[in-house]
Amino acid sequence: MSGRLLGQDASVLEAAGADVKALRALERQAVGTVALPAGHRVVDAHVHLGVDRDGHALAADDLVADLDAAGIDAAVAFPPDEPGPGGDFRHANDRVAEAADRHAGRIIPFCRVDPAVGAERAMQHAHEFGARGLKLHPVAQRFAPESDACVQVVRHATELGWPVLFHAGFGARPLGPAFAALLERVPTARLILAHGGRGDHRALAAVAAGYPDMVFDTSIAALPDLAALPPERIVFGSDRPYGDHAQALHLVGMAARVAGWDDRAMLGVMSGNLMRLLGGEGG
Amino acid sequence: MSTGDALRVVTLAAQAEMALVRRDQVAGPLLAQASRAAAGTPAAGFLEEAAAMVRVAPEREAVRQAALSLCRMGLQQAQARAMGGGP
Repeated sequence: MSGRLLGQDASVLEAAGADVKALRALERQAVGTVALPAGHRVVDAHVHLGVDRDGHALAADDLVADLDAAGIDAAVAFPPDEPGPGGDFRHANDRVAEAADRHAGRIIPFCRVDPAVGAERAMQHAHEFGARGLKLHPVAQRFAPESDACVQVVRHATELGWPVLFHAGFGARPLGPAFAALLERVPTARLILAHGGRGDHRALAAVAAGYPDMVFDTSIAALPDLAALPPERIVFGSDRPYGDHAQALHLVGMAARVAGWDDRAMLGVMSGNLMRLLGGEGG
Repeated sequence: MSTGDALRVVTLAAQAEMALVRRDQVAGPLLAQASRAAAGTPAAGFLEEAAAMVRVAPEREAVRQAALSLCRMGLQQAQARAMGGGP
């Protein structure tokens, strides 16, 4: 058995004793949960390319194979927690840019920085090499979204015309007041809160009500959180390699059923809302 | 399936999800319990397969990640049912 299955090498699962035929059927069922009108596009807003220091890894060729298997047109990609010896993510960002060059039209490169370590220079370098957005992780890089250093980075990203994707999942700090303070200082920022903002969803949703360019991605989000949001504030994401495309699509399909999204709403969630944030046309 | 039955599956599957994320050995028993609680519902197929995989090769990283995917889909099915939107 060759190929990819649930984001893994199918032969590895088979060698471990898994019932690959049954898994393949479940994967098909999950992917089929999302019903889209003809001519749709699907763009994943949240993928990590590289090797995280916790061991999770994803190579560009495997990502593209996964996209093909799941019927996904393209993915926004940025480094995992791989800051490198200088701590500025420069080499990891370069590798994402190279992957985007090799897979033009399939990989949309974002860069990742640590606001405390040469962020302005790293962003300028990434911009010159085609980056179209920024990823920030306040828990991994240990900073507060409302801190001066982060505000400066978000302001710079906004000047470059970039959306900023923030980790907003696992973590102890309340996030609502933090992002309210950040947006008070950079009100034109375009923010994508990852994981449906599950780290503090109700407070973040209340903040988003006052900022039309603040949206939530679906990667490893909680279904009740997604179902409670207006669909125009949601962008599809998988969090590969921490999540996989089958369950990411299944989650959106189930949220659509619970919330009663129509075709127009689905087209927005699956690509249109993200493309607008990126400065392109709708899905 | 009643809302209470669906919430039982949600609880067990959510506990199993975190156990899988944390590489905790309690994931296996929790998945087995969740799959029994989901028997006869759309969540069952996902949870039964996740439980079977973890039983066979709990130490393999690819198995853990695939089981995590299946567990999450079982959880999503049960959540949808609890919220009145499941199949």
